[in-house]
Amino acid sequence: MNPVDLARKLRREAAFEPTALARGRETLMAAIRQEVEPRRRPTIIPQLPYENVGAALSFLERAFGFQVIPASRLEGTDGVVHHALVEFGDGVIGIGTQGAHGAISPKSGGVESQYVSVAVADVVAHYQRALAAGARIAKEPRDQGSGAHAYEAIDPEGHRWRFVHQRLREVR
Amino acid sequence: MSSPSDAEVIGRSLGEPEAFGLIYDRHAATLLRFLGRRAGAKVAEGLVGELFRIAFERRKAFDPARGSALPWLYGIGSNLLLKHRRGEARRLRASARMAAGPETTDGRSSAAALDARLLFPRVADAIETLPDDERQALLLFAWEELSYQGVAEALELPIGTVRSRLNRARARLRELLESKGKGRVTSR
Repeated sequence: MNPVDLARKLRREAAFEPTALARGRETLMAAIRQEVEPRRRPTIIPQLPYENVGAALSFLERAFGFQVIPASRLEGTDGVVHHALVEFGDGVIGIGTQGAHGAISPKSGGVESQYVSVAVADVVAHYQRALAAGARIAKEPRDQGSGAHAYEAIDPEGHRWRFVHQRLREVR
Repeated sequence: MSSPSDAEVIGRSLGEPEAFGLIYDRHAATLLRFLGRRAGAKVAEGLVGELFRIAFERRKAFDPARGSALPWLYGIGSNLLLKHRRGEARRLRASARMAAGPETTDGRSSAAALDARLLFPRVADAIETLPDDERQALLLFAWEELSYQGVAEALELPIGTVRSRLNRARARLRELLESKGKGRVTSR
């Protein structure tokens, strides 16, 4: 018997929830809305310089769970990304090609002139994700006297990131 | 008044993103069934929105010369399914049991039913062991009934590559079925 006909005989339908299509549509519409009505942006947006913006974006997504805002991507005619905004929670930062506004990646400059502090709900889970994605860990997760639990990681171009969960003091 | 082609709608959605909703309304049910056949209803329900979200974000890359967006959407769906290979394999084996018909215990099962019970699990295993690229092409062709051209558009391959992939898949299936089959269908 023809192998394609045999394969065809294994085709089987699956029964769906009637609401499945509506839920799928909602996922799409949320993505459309995100593009149509840019959310309120923070007043201050730090810009970090990189040698390789594309590689930086994929690392930041993979290791730290940041999300590129699709409509913000600026690409050259060669398809190379020059700049994009990434968001995490309600924070936004810009990832751009070094030199465009004077700033230089620590990889080229050899110095870290700043670090970025990011609030996360679960420091250990975040740490494990970053570790699995190959982030260099500068400080292992630990409790700090002030009630903060934090770790620090260095991204592939040497920018330092501090991920912190601040335990609030109990209000009496 | 004819309705605009998918290519026209996607073109319009570059300036008016909401227009992309029409692409969903046209094709989501087809893609939901496709994902369901491959990975089951539950996985399909979770993936269909994701599929169209990805399509929306990549709509700039859609080649307007294609006209219909369906093969392109099948291609995005095929990639999403690669992450669900285990569920797919499970479902394929369950399909094999169904195709083989119910087990009978009263001894009245025909020789044909017996053959089917031995044959279909082997077909499922054989499909399962195909490399991803051949399995994708075979199932788009056999289950979704895409043409060679449609499979080529879905997997973004030249049509000649699709033809050779399908030929390889056929040959491999035949070989797997024959090597495992012969000599086992002897009892009774």
